Amino acid sequence: MAEQRFNCTLCGQCCRGWIPLTLDDALANAGRFPLAMVWTPVRPGSRAFDLTTRLGTTVQLRNHKQVAVLIAPTAYIPPSFPCPALTADNLCGIQGDKPQRCRTMPFYPYREENDQADILVPRKGWACDTSAAAPVIYRDKTIIDREAFDREREALTAQAPSLRAYAETMLKQNAALTDYLTKAAQNPVAGHFAVNFSSYLRLNRSYDLIAFAKAQHPVLTAFANRTEKTPELADYHTYYKESAAELSWFAQRS
Amino acid sequence: MSTCVCGSGLAFALCCEPILNGKPAPTAEALMRSRYAAYALGKLDHVERTATPEALEGFNRQDSERVVDESKWLGLEILRTVDGGEGDQTGQVEFVFRYSLRGQTYAQHELSTFCRKDGAWLYSSSEINPKSPPVRVTKEGRNDPCACGSGKKHKKCCGA
Ligand code: SF4
Ligand SMILES: [Zn+2]
Repeated sequence: MAEQRFNCTLCGQCCRGWIPLTLDDALANAGRFPLAMVWTPVRPGSRAFDLTTRLGTTVQLRNHKQVAVLIAPTAYIPPSFPCPALTADNLCGIQGDKPQRCRTMPFYPYREENDQADILVPRKGWACDTSAAAPVIYRDKTIIDREAFDREREALTAQAPSLRAYAETMLKQNAALTDYLTKAAQNPVAGHFAVNFSSYLRLNRSYDLIAFAKAQHPVLTAFANRTEKTPELADYHTYYKESAAELSWFAQRS
Repeated sequence: MSTCVCGSGLAFALCCEPILNGKPAPTAEALMRSRYAAYALGKLDHVERTATPEALEGFNRQDSERVVDESKWLGLEILRTVDGGEGDQTGQVEFVFRYSLRGQTYAQHELSTFCRKDGAWLYSSSEINPKSPPVRVTKEGRNDPCACGSGKKHKKCCGA
């Protein structure tokens, strides 16, 4: 019987870098996280392919191959930066209403339930307790306490049609995106890219861009300033600066 | 008498003005011209009034107000029309327009599709070529989170 154990030791190590969010969590945290739409092509051979076609979309590349594409609203935080909600004593400052992604940890509903084993192994430097003292959380490819996993998966499924429509329009209006996808799909190491989060809102009648910009613009500006002097973070810096510029007109409205 | 901003060479009163005021456009091209004129003149009600419900779903009024406010409209050129005439139910118009935004000049090349509903032409959808201000795309380097089709806040990663 294959079992995996896990207990969170509150080391705070997983509270760094990117956090893929549900759309609702992204919008609710526009005043806290610098947001991006992260596009990740997933090739047909991958175990996550079928699921990604359902949670994301399918795109025909320049070389006529099909890929599934995950489009994830993301707290686009540099991997070396702690989450802005992480407190000095390594605890979550918004425990009561932290994003669904954080609640489902260590599981990952962007992959099939039976495909969780390798992501339950802590990354280097993480202090998760996986010893015999920790409770079994995954047995025979089944999640023992599945409530958070199911809830996150449901949210991802419910938002999929809206993200699919967004992707379709974006691909029609920006031929360069297909080039990026083609390139990203060929890159075995880091196949993804970030697009302004506001590109999603702009293509929807119902979003209040002014309210969004008033929350998000200061966050992007703060992250642009924090990354300005670090050459390794130049891409992040450019992203924050340009995304902020896209929002400045809205942020200045009354 | 002023010539129309749509570049037809006709007087505004004989070109886009009546359409902006609610008169049905006789052709898809006439509607397209009037929609360009509406952006140039900040008459966004016309833009909303002449779109299909599906197109309207993807139309964010605040964003369009931003576009109107920030852009200077430099001219429209119709390249090609397919159907869209007085006897047609659908039509396409291919065009290029130029505008400047935050000190930069852009040309947008677009193929728009129109359809008739209850006799009136409506804008339905567009394919746009990438000469418009680019979507800000930031590529990731090799040291960033993951390529396993997922990536981020999860425990172990293929690359890590
Ligand atoms: S919101 Fe809380 S749990 Fe989630 S990454 Fe930030 S600090 Fe960690
Ligand atoms: Zn005219």
